[in-house]
Amino acid sequence: MNASSGPPLGLDPVIHAQARLRVTVALAALATGDRITFPRLQELLDMTAGNLSTHLRKLEDAGYVEITKAHQRRTPVTYVALTGPGRRAFADYTAALRVLLAPIDQPGG
Amino acid sequence: MSSDDAGVGPDADRPLSAGESMALIEREQREVRRRLNVNVVLFYGPWGAAYLLGFGAVYLTYPSGLPARLPGAVGAVVTVVLFAVATVTSAVNGVRGGRGVRGPSRVVGSMYGWSWPLGFGALSLVNSRVIAFGGLSADAASLLWSGSALLLVGVLYLAGGALWQSPAMYALGVWMLVTGALSVLVGVPGNFLVLALGGGGGMLLTAVCFAVRPPRSPTRA
Repeated sequence: MNASSGPPLGLDPVIHAQARLRVTVALAALATGDRITFPRLQELLDMTAGNLSTHLRKLEDAGYVEITKAHQRRTPVTYVALTGPGRRAFADYTAALRVLLAPIDQPGG
Repeated sequence: MSSDDAGVGPDADRPLSAGESMALIEREQREVRRRLNVNVVLFYGPWGAAYLLGFGAVYLTYPSGLPARLPGAVGAVVTVVLFAVATVTSAVNGVRGGRGVRGPSRVVGSMYGWSWPLGFGALSLVNSRVIAFGGLSADAASLLWSGSALLLVGVLYLAGGALWQSPAMYALGVWMLVTGALSVLVGVPGNFLVLALGGGGGMLLTAVCFAVRPPRSPTRA
């Protein structure tokens, strides 16, 4: 085990942080092609708007999240969705976790 | 803008172990799905109860082997009230379920939701018009309603089962078709007992199945 502050256990550092993992899990629960409004996502995760935007920006910078703005009856609405690469990154992340956890569950396997 | 920890605990920035991470994913997935998805139990439960109690009450207004017999109005009132409650519950549940979500799954859900009032609107018009010609006895009219209504319910559940790839919903559709056909075969007033026990029972059983094992997502049931 090296002592660097890089990604522990070789996991995707963008996803491997409690708040961003929760955001990713929530967005991955949406059906493919669906998007969710920012306030509804905030309510689901029980995060402050500032905290959520900070983490969404990091996920967006990595290309995992797509943020779109639309107008509904003249009111601006922000929609959030996981991108294709974001969905794949989350799938890879959970697959990597399973590999890490497997030897404990199946000794000798 | 400071990145505070509200809602994620005081040690949100502490690195997670693989085990903690997996536990978090499983916990959050369950919670988010529960809050995000339409609660299908709220569709089947009220409708199952309405069929069981409503049509059960109508059956008991006919002379049966039982010592007591309900006054005719009771059956009608119970059925109308319970059907109204189930209709409102379904509509509210359908609209509330996908709050804040836009996209293909909402379009599918909304089109499917509207197919119920559209189908039953057209069915009511056809049946009322046919009965208005006066050629049908009261018993034949009763059988026309039970057979045609259950046929439509069955077909809509078949369609829903196919849309959401839900074997339980598809099976309920098949069961409702069988129930409708059986109700016509047994005649009046047995058709009401078939609707109450077969139709209501089938929907309540489906409600229990989905309460025990919720569907995974609105598009992947």
